[in-house]
Amino acid sequence: MKAAPHRRPARRAAHTPAGRARLALGGAAVLTVLAATACSTASSSGDDRADASSSGSGKGGGRTIQVVAAENFWGSIASQLGGSHVKVTSIIDNPAADPHDYEPTARDARTVAAARYTIVNGVGYDTWADKLLAATPSSGRTDLKVGDLVGVKPGGNPHRWYAPADVHTVVERISADYKKLDPADAAEFDRLRTTFEQRTLGPYDRLTAEIRTTYGGTPVGASESIVSPLADGLGLKMLTPETFLDAISEGTDPTAHDKALIDRQIRDRRIKVYVYNSQNATPDVKRQVDEAEAAGIPVATVTETLTPAGASFQDWQVRQLEGIRQALAKAVGR
Amino acid sequence: MTALADAYATWSWNPVADLRQMWAYPFMVNAFRAGTITAVAAGVMGWFMVLRRQSFAGHTLAVVGFPGAAGAVLVGVSATYGYFVFCVAAALLVAAVPRTGRGRRPGAGQEAALTGTVQAFLLACGFLFTALYKGVLGGVTSMLFGSFLGITTAQVWVLLAVAVTVLALLGAIGRPLLFASVDPDVAAGRGVPVGLLSTGFLVLLGAAAAEASQITGTLLVFALLVMPAATAQVLTARPALSLALSVVIGIAVTWLGLTTAYFSDGPLGFAVTSYAFAAYVLARIGRAAADRAPRHVPVRVPAGGAA
Repeated sequence: MKAAPHRRPARRAAHTPAGRARLALGGAAVLTVLAATACSTASSSGDDRADASSSGSGKGGGRTIQVVAAENFWGSIASQLGGSHVKVTSIIDNPAADPHDYEPTARDARTVAAARYTIVNGVGYDTWADKLLAATPSSGRTDLKVGDLVGVKPGGNPHRWYAPADVHTVVERISADYKKLDPADAAEFDRLRTTFEQRTLGPYDRLTAEIRTTYGGTPVGASESIVSPLADGLGLKMLTPETFLDAISEGTDPTAHDKALIDRQIRDRRIKVYVYNSQNATPDVKRQVDEAEAAGIPVATVTETLTPAGASFQDWQVRQLEGIRQALAKAVGR
Repeated sequence: MTALADAYATWSWNPVADLRQMWAYPFMVNAFRAGTITAVAAGVMGWFMVLRRQSFAGHTLAVVGFPGAAGAVLVGVSATYGYFVFCVAAALLVAAVPRTGRGRRPGAGQEAALTGTVQAFLLACGFLFTALYKGVLGGVTSMLFGSFLGITTAQVWVLLAVAVTVLALLGAIGRPLLFASVDPDVAAGRGVPVGLLSTGFLVLLGAAAAEASQITGTLLVFALLVMPAATAQVLTARPALSLALSVVIGIAVTWLGLTTAYFSDGPLGFAVTSYAFAAYVLARIGRAAADRAPRHVPVRVPAGGAA
């Protein structure tokens, strides 16, 4: 009933205000263009300020390079290689945050905007970090993409911090980039790199080599692809199908075929040790852990990012390698 | 240390200082540019959408941006293309259904059912694309709920080009479209091509939805498409004024939302939607209070809710 009285005046209204509506439309289009240009003037003055804030950190003797690492495992290395000459901020610095589907905050973007050196993992692992970098283009900034540096193609295994050889490649590059950004402190950066590679990473390298020689070729199973580069580096034989490892790592559904195959591998004790990522223990993974324990297969854990949050890269890795070595020792009896 | 201090945003009650602080960062400049362009285009398109009672169609066009973006990433092109291709294709699909009638007639229900069917199927396609993608499909959350932190200058130009094109085309068909929206039967009787206008409008709406999706995410597009328009049509019945109000409200909630997200480190989609929701609630309360006042209320053009 309401519609009837409304109908008739509406017909009349459609004609006269239509012209004004069109005017409003035109006005809207003009406004759109205005907004875009108005902001552009703000940006040109804004760029100066952003630049000023990043280079302004050079006051008081030695320059401090503002470094942003997308994840704290690279941040820990970058921090130790730069000593007091760098200030490293890691965006993912919390064991509860998953780098795969992290949503950056405005604060992260501000941190990136103030950086002179950035480290992202790449290989599709942290696409959000690529976006942050693209949204803040800067000529005065050096960007390191680990995946590109070590030559992993898109779709490859992104977990390069679990590949001992790649870790050393990244160490060399970060140190070289520091020297370019701050040539005055080149000698200091060389010293820090030598200390880091020879002393700090010593236990990590020794343990890696030891497991390789003692347990090389031992068949193992794993929950996800984060373990694959480590197994390669340790010379262990990964029996878990790659499709399953990728599915768990990327948060997609594993296939029934893969799950049945893994169940058989565990039941028949064809894998000697089962390694899983405790930060990403899906119901499928938990079930496999239970099955492995029931079958008497030693289980070792690794984590995606530094655990506990404040740990250093080497302490974290060495503790995990110790766990894997103990599991191998128990399984093989050597 | 300076840069560390920079990483913490400090809110002052001086809006000029706050804007200057935000615009010191290129990513915020791009966010404001993209947000403003989107708010203007969505405000205008949304106004017609609400007037034509096609909010559900608009919702569908927005939601199919998700399979579009996921599919684009799957085949290895920019998500922007995916948004536009899927949104415009869905618009053509929805428009292709013969409209037997409007309003309370049986045909309208059928149209809504078909729109829902298309929406459900395309959403499922989006799920398939994310499952098929061999690798880490980053940013599913930002596809659904939006992100303002990664907008490049090139993307701003694409948004501007689309907005200007959409608004120019809408300006060209605006007058007959308004007539056809308010009273399709009379418009058809006077020789206005109602069906053609409807198709054209849906395609433009698809483009606007695709544009807005990239800022607000495909699920929160309505924050800019329907909320400012609905609020404006509650506030006034005069077409030109409510159209202008829709745009102004859209820009206001976007800027307030961006500012809130910047200073609170919170998600943009929630901030924008909250402001838009508050505006709508206030408008409704104001309207109810005004209507209760014992005075003669002039007859109005039926807006989205009425008729």
